[in-house]
Amino acid sequence: MLKSLTILLAFQALGELLSFAAFPSIPGPVLGLVSLLTYFFIRGGVPADIQTTANVFTANLGLLFVPAAVGVVVFWPVLAEFGFIILLTLLVSVVTTLVGTAFVLDRLAARFMPGEVSETGAANVSGQATEVIRND
Amino acid sequence: MTDSTSRLADFPEIWVYLSGNPLSALFLTLLAYQIGLWCYRKSGQHPFTNPVLIAVLLLAAFLQITGLSYAQYFEGAQFVHFLLGTATVSLAVPIYQGLTAVKGQTLRTLVLLTVALLVGGGLSIASALGTAHLLGANIDIFHSLWAKSVTAPIAMGVSERIGASPTLTALFAIVTGILGAAVGSWLFNAMGMKRWWVRGFTMGLAAHGIGTARAFSVHPEAGRYASLGMGLHGIFGALLIPWIFGFFG
Repeated sequence: MLKSLTILLAFQALGELLSFAAFPSIPGPVLGLVSLLTYFFIRGGVPADIQTTANVFTANLGLLFVPAAVGVVVFWPVLAEFGFIILLTLLVSVVTTLVGTAFVLDRLAARFMPGEVSETGAANVSGQATEVIRND
Repeated sequence: MTDSTSRLADFPEIWVYLSGNPLSALFLTLLAYQIGLWCYRKSGQHPFTNPVLIAVLLLAAFLQITGLSYAQYFEGAQFVHFLLGTATVSLAVPIYQGLTAVKGQTLRTLVLLTVALLVGGGLSIASALGTAHLLGANIDIFHSLWAKSVTAPIAMGVSERIGASPTLTALFAIVTGILGAAVGSWLFNAMGMKRWWVRGFTMGLAAHGIGTARAFSVHPEAGRYASLGMGLHGIFGALLIPWIFGFFG
């Protein structure tokens, strides 16, 4: 735990260094993430202790951005005035993103990955069901 | 004897110390999150009872009632906030696992996922900015919308780099995740989407962590691909959003 935490902090520091020295527009932790990912690929796997520690972080990710999000108290006037607009904007945007992405990816898969649907588990069930109905 | 009297005399000071102490903000943050988690579990993990949103509302109400300023609260809570960077770095683990588990024709699938990522990321920004513009949002909101489909810890960093508000972006990201998780399955069914990996990847891309949690509860394969979609969108978003923003912002 302590060793893997040290390694994660080292990659975070490396990321901050890279951000400061070479890529000022990219947040340091993201560069740390990319560096760690590169390390995993070179090494050909994730060390077990790093995986355990990382799981603790990713499982409780939500908690970590609570302090920053509580900053909404500073934005009450803005939210009171634009709250409805914001909600509508976010809804329209997420629906557009979901529908557009799923449509494009599904079409690409049908075009470039023939016969792939049969590999998936539960999707297969409904696929077979339609087949049966068609055959009848 | 002298020792205890002097301690007793210090009591008011100790109270002042405690109320402005990191411990209280830290404790309240964890407590609020636990309450949020409890509601989330009680409701059968319904997206609308998101533990982060509940914790934020409880803490905001607490600050409002007690008159404690956000700056005072944050001074204590920053110990939690600091770990956000480390947590972001550790996202490399699920991304690595997702990438190595990509099925079938690996390179071909990765190309398809990259195309979907660019399309989805672009759609997310364009549709948000377009709608906000039509409805007449102000400039703070406008800039903070850019990173809202990216996972919150990365989105906040991106927002900071482009001069927008990390707080508003975090809020937008949470609400986006909740809405996406709530309507996703329904939309995919209406569209007749049968590939779990397509549904999952799309969910992770559009609704990041909250969408990913939802995808895992629907189907394990959807969950794994959602995790990958969220992670890759995080990386691509962090690399591309500041750059594209430079052209328009």
